[in-house]
Amino acid sequence: MAKVSFRNVWKKYGDMPAVKDLNIECPDGSFLSILGPSGCGKSSTMRMVAGLEHITAGDILFDEQRINDLAPKDRDVAMVFENYALYPHKSVYENMANPLKLRGQDASRIKERVTAAAKLLEISQLLERRPQELSGGQKQRVAIGRAIVREPKLFLFDEPIAHLDAKLRAHMRGEIKHLQRSLGTTMIYVTHDQLEAMSMADTIAVMHEGELQQLGSPREVYNNPVNAWVAGFVGEPAMNFVDCNVDQRGEKTAFVHPNFNIAVTDEQARILSAQSKQKTVRMGIRPDALAISLDQPAGEHLKGQIYVTELLGGDMIVDVELAGERIRVKTAPEFEGEEGQTCYMTANRDKWHAFSKETGQAFF
Amino acid sequence: MASREVVSYETPLSKAFKWFSAVFIVIYLIWTVLPIFVMFMSSFKDLLEAFNIPAVGDWAGVTVFFEFTPTFKHYHDLFVNLNFSRYILNSLIAAGGSAVISVILGSMAAYSLSRIEFKGKNDLFFWIISTRMAPVVAVMVPLFAIFRTMGLVGTLPGLILAYTTFNLPFAIWILKGFFDNVPYAIEEAQMVDGASRWQAFLAILPLVAPGIGAFVVLCILFAWNDFLFAAIIGSGGAKTLPVATRELVQPQNIQWGSIMAAGVVTTAPMMLLGLVIRRYLVTGLTMGAVKE
Repeated sequence: MAKVSFRNVWKKYGDMPAVKDLNIECPDGSFLSILGPSGCGKSSTMRMVAGLEHITAGDILFDEQRINDLAPKDRDVAMVFENYALYPHKSVYENMANPLKLRGQDASRIKERVTAAAKLLEISQLLERRPQELSGGQKQRVAIGRAIVREPKLFLFDEPIAHLDAKLRAHMRGEIKHLQRSLGTTMIYVTHDQLEAMSMADTIAVMHEGELQQLGSPREVYNNPVNAWVAGFVGEPAMNFVDCNVDQRGEKTAFVHPNFNIAVTDEQARILSAQSKQKTVRMGIRPDALAISLDQPAGEHLKGQIYVTELLGGDMIVDVELAGERIRVKTAPEFEGEEGQTCYMTANRDKWHAFSKETGQAFF
Repeated sequence: MASREVVSYETPLSKAFKWFSAVFIVIYLIWTVLPIFVMFMSSFKDLLEAFNIPAVGDWAGVTVFFEFTPTFKHYHDLFVNLNFSRYILNSLIAAGGSAVISVILGSMAAYSLSRIEFKGKNDLFFWIISTRMAPVVAVMVPLFAIFRTMGLVGTLPGLILAYTTFNLPFAIWILKGFFDNVPYAIEEAQMVDGASRWQAFLAILPLVAPGIGAFVVLCILFAWNDFLFAAIIGSGGAKTLPVATRELVQPQNIQWGSIMAAGVVTTAPMMLLGLVIRRYLVTGLTMGAVKE
C-alpha cells in the first residue's frame, strides 16, 4: 500500500503534449478514478505510473519515493488491462500464478494464494481452462485475479469493464469497489464512463485535453463543477446549458431569457456582481433539478414546448425547446405531455449554475 | 462468429471446369509422383532389372517394371563403402545448425524491429531483405574468397554460416509479421507482473511458435536441398548428401543404383518431416495472427 503523488508530471509524444503539468495526491488506501473522454491523457497517466511509458517531465512518487526511473517490475504495482491481456497459451491457474512465479515464490505458497484469489472472485471452477474458453466477464475476473494474488503497493485498473455488457458492468462496479475496500489497497482506476467514476471512487480526477480539470469527491464534482466542460461531462443525462443575460437592477439580480426571468439568490448575486463585466453567462441546470408540469405555476418559471418524450421505464426524459435551444428534463413516467404542447419548468434557486461564456469557468 | 458460407451454383461452365480440374490434377500427380516412385523402386533393383523398361506403347509390358528380386545392396554400398552416414550427419548438422542459429538471432531481431522505434528502421528493414535479392550465384565468388581467407571453406561451421547468411533475412521477415500481431498488452502485463524485457520476450515466444515452426521447416529445406553452397563452400571436409550423390556420377561409371538409393535417403527425411509438421506448417504460413 502506498500514497501516490504526481508532481508537475508532463507526457509529450514528440511535440504533442498528452499530459500537461499534472498534480494529484492520492492518499494511501484510497480509490482514485481518472475520468475523461478518449485522448484526454488518462491512459498515458496510468501507463507512466506502471512504468510502461517514460515520464517526460516531473515526478511520480510512491510514499514520497521517486519512481520515475524504476522498471515496471520494480515498482510493485498490479495492473488490469482494458483487453485483459491474459496469456492465451496458459491456463487460468498459470495466468494467475505468473506474478508470483516471476517473483520466485515457492509452489505451495503460489497454490495457496491463487486458490484464495480464485475463491474470492468465484472462479475456482475455471482454473484449468484456457482464456479463449472464457466469457468476457470471466476473463475480466481472471485479469483481476492476476492483480490481487500478490499484495502490491498499488492497483492500476485501465477501463477494466469497458468491454462487458451493460448488466455485467453494473454488477462489476459493485464488486470492484467492494474488493478495493476489503483489500484496502490504493487504487487508480481509469475510465471514460462518468457513472463508473461517480459510483466507485473516493476521489475523481477529471481530465480533458491533457489537463486536470477538477480533483474532488464525486459529490463535489457533481454538485460544484469548476467549469462548463466538467459540468457537461459528469452526469447523465448531461447538464443543460442556456445562454442568458444578467439583469442587475438595484437590489434584484436575475437571469433573463426570452422564455424566462429568474431571480438569483443574494449569494449568487454577489458573485455575479463581482464579475460585473459579464452581461451574458452560460446558465446550467441538471435535468433532474427541474420540475416539469403542463399547468402554469404561480412563481417564476421557464416556459417551453415539448419536443419529444422518452420513456426509460422508471424515469422519463422530456426534451423541451426554449427559443431555439433544447434542454432535457428528467421526470416521473406519469408525466402526460404530448409533443408540441406548452410546458412549464421550475427549479430550486440553489440548483442553478452559471459559467463564464468566454472561459467556461464556473461562477457558482 | 457469423457464418461465412461461400455459395456457388452449378453452370455448364463450372461443370466443364470441374472435369478439367480433375484431369489436370491426375496429370499433375503422375508428373510429380512417378519420378519418386521410379527412384524408390529402382533403389531396390539390380542394375539389369532397373533398365528392364517396356517399349514405348507397350502398355501390357508395364508389369515388367514390377518383376524383380528386391535387393539392399545399393543401401549397403552407400553406408558401408561410400561413407554416406557421414554425409547424412553433415547435412543434418548444417541444416539444423543454421536453422537454430537463424531462429535465435532472427526472433530477437524481429522482436526489436517490431517493437522499438528508431531512426532508419524502415531502411534497415529493407536492407535486410535486399540481401536476398541477389541470386546466390552472383555472390558466390566473393563469398568464397571471404570464406577461404577466414579458413572456413570445407568446414561445417563455414557451411552453417553460409546458410545462416541466407536464412536470417528470411527469418526476420517472417517473424516480424508474427510479432506485429502479438498485442503489446501481453508483454506489458508480463512486465508489470514482474518480468524484465528479456523475460517478457521469452514469454511471448509461444505465441509466435507457428511462425517459428514454419520458418524452421523452410530453413531446413533450403539447407538440406542446397547444392551450390555445399559444392563450393562445403567441398571437401563438409560434404552433404546432394554433393555426395553428385559424386556418384563418374566419367566412366554412373552408379545408377547407388544414386537412386542416395536419392531415397535424401528425400525420405524431408518427406517425413513434412508429414509430421504439416498442420503446423499450414497454420504458420497462412495464419500469421494471434488473436486477442
